[in-house]
Amino acid sequence: MIPGDFQPQRPTSRQMVKLGVLGVVALGVFVAIVLGLTFHISAWLGQPVVFARSEGPDQPIAFPHTTHVQELGMDCTFCHRNVEKEAAASVPATGLCMTCHSAVGDDLDEIEKMRSLYEDGRSIHWVRVHRVPDHVHFVHEAHIRYFSEKDGIEPSQVCQTCHGDVKEMEKVKQVETLKMGDCVSCHKENSAPTDCATCHY
Amino acid sequence: MADSQDRKWGMVVDIDRCTGCNGCVVACQSENNIPNNLEEHFNQRRAIQWIRIERYWEGEYPNVKARFIPVMCQQCGNAPCEPVCPVYATYHNEEGLNVQVYNRCIGTRFCANGCPYHVRFFNFWEPEWPESLKNQLNPDVTVRSRGIMEKCSFCVQRIRRSTREGERDEVQVEDGDRALSPACVNACPTTALTFGDFNNDSSQVSMMKEEAMANRGKKEGRGYRLLDNLGTEANVIYLKKVDNSAGAVHGH
Ligand code: HEC
Ligand code: HEC
Ligand code: HEC
Ligand code: HEC
Ligand code: HEC
Repeated sequence: MIPGDFQPQRPTSRQMVKLGVLGVVALGVFVAIVLGLTFHISAWLGQPVVFARSEGPDQPIAFPHTTHVQELGMDCTFCHRNVEKEAAASVPATGLCMTCHSAVGDDLDEIEKMRSLYEDGRSIHWVRVHRVPDHVHFVHEAHIRYFSEKDGIEPSQVCQTCHGDVKEMEKVKQVETLKMGDCVSCHKENSAPTDCATCHY
Repeated sequence: MADSQDRKWGMVVDIDRCTGCNGCVVACQSENNIPNNLEEHFNQRRAIQWIRIERYWEGEYPNVKARFIPVMCQQCGNAPCEPVCPVYATYHNEEGLNVQVYNRCIGTRFCANGCPYHVRFFNFWEPEWPESLKNQLNPDVTVRSRGIMEKCSFCVQRIRRSTREGERDEVQVEDGDRALSPACVNACPTTALTFGDFNNDSSQVSMMKEEAMANRGKKEGRGYRLLDNLGTEANVIYLKKVDNSAGAVHGH
């Protein structure tokens, strides 16, 4: 070795400790970023798509759409009465269920539960499945009117565009993400308004 | 929605009829889910009032007169608040409304600084209502959270709802219909406020606007816009006070 030449220094033990700490910190930051990204991406993709539940929530009364719509042939608008008239589709009052169930379904647990609620004058607290955020104003009436006129179909056949095949569902679940992109791309296809103030106000 | 594209909303405010009763202010607060303003909010200049009554005193005691001017968002055709928004949370729609998209807003407050009328309000706090008022919130209006800007919308929720229900029932929504008019207009006991479509020549606002602006600058012309020299092209027209007693000293 020629004196005066460049000599790489071996790191002191102090420097080694520093490097080690730096490495641990960097690893921590990396993990935090990955976790954060996972959280954000899953939140963004939202409800039924990625990590979220593939099944609808449990309802206080296990109401099967299958029995009522498929087997009994009831129309969606019989129960969701406001869907052709108002912004909200509305879920029926227990009184409507009782028109049949005061006579039908003796000895069934779920029906007995419903009857005792009804007799106490209490309502059923259904768990909401679909809900757009507070800053969005969705209107059923305009959609049902437009599509049943355009395609010449019954109002109850329009529902599946956004709600999937509810009559096949033992338990209602959300199948479309119903994010702003879904709304706006359909609006563009049908030359419906895309002005922000149609939905946000 | 098809025919709505060619509408242009505007308002005419007749100062001569305004008695300063603040009925419009209260109606607006409850229609639009505006939280109660406490005294300290006024002292901090942070009270939220989409429409306010400005009060001016004229003359020397004992011959003083109170003058009132209701001021709300002027829905400017050339709005100073719009180009300064970095995220396009405020923009002009086809119906001539200056729209505020709350969920898009990030709270820079540039727009409020740009507005010469002081009609944009920042939510410095999470809104709060006393327990007894919680059930009166209007479901058609978003409850704005802390950190965003808000302002008069000409009660766009009422425009939307009445238009939609008109289409559903196949009736034409007329100007002056209570379902269409903003809450302040409906509440005004002296009809100082008139709301309607400036593009419809037969509407009451159009006729009032035409009459008011025809003689602009002349003595008999009563129409003016607030801070018109700034070129904001406001869609709110004011009719100035008719004062027959000007100069005369008299006792009531
Ligand atoms: C017998 C009355 C009845 C009929 C008929 C009926 N529903 Fe329902 N529906 C209900 C009740 C009760 C609920 C609330 C409980 C639940 O979510 O399972 C509900 C919930 C729903 C929901 C979820 C609402 C939410 O919380 O987001 C959708 C969507 C729905 N129904 C669509 C339909 C469609 C589409 C049809 C026709 C194919 C239909 N329903 C027929 C009674 C009915
Ligand atoms: C048109 C009459 C009718 C109406 C209205 C009706 N149901 Fe039914 N429901 C039936 C019949 C019939 C059955 C099948 C009973 C059976 O399997 O014995 C049934 C079955 C059920 C069951 C399944 C019970 C089980 O465990 O299999 C539930 C839960 C139920 N109904 C709840 C409701 C609710 C909640 C409503 C109101 C939204 C309602 N029903 C409205 C006729 C009706
Ligand atoms: C264009 C898409 C679309 C169509 C078509 C549609 N819905 Fe909905 N539905 C939604 C959205 C979005 C929500 C959530 C609304 C909210 O949170 O305000 C919803 C909510 C509901 C709810 C629960 C909340 C309420 O409004 O009462 C029911 C019940 C419902 N829909 C039933 C129906 C039925 C029945 C039909 C067919 C007649 C139908 N929907 C057609 C998009 C749609
Ligand atoms: C399947 C296609 C489709 C989807 C998905 C859809 N829309 Fe629409 N929407 C339409 C059409 C078509 C119209 C125009 C109806 C008319 O002209 O009367 C409309 C009209 C509207 C209107 C205006 C009603 C009025 O006249 O005031 C609103 C608000 C609206 N949609 C909100 C939404 C929201 C929010 C979503 C997403 C959750 C959504 N829409 C999803 C097709 C759709
Ligand atoms: C057809 C209806 C519709 C129109 C038109 C529309 N939006 Fe939306 N927007 C929605 C829906 C639905 C959501 C909620 C999505 C979700 O569930 O997170 C949303 C969410 C948003 C969000 C996200 C808010 C948040 O907290 O995540 C922003 C920002 C937004 N919209 C801005 C706009 C702007 C700006 C315009 C006009 C250019 C616009 N929107 C037009 C339906 C609409």
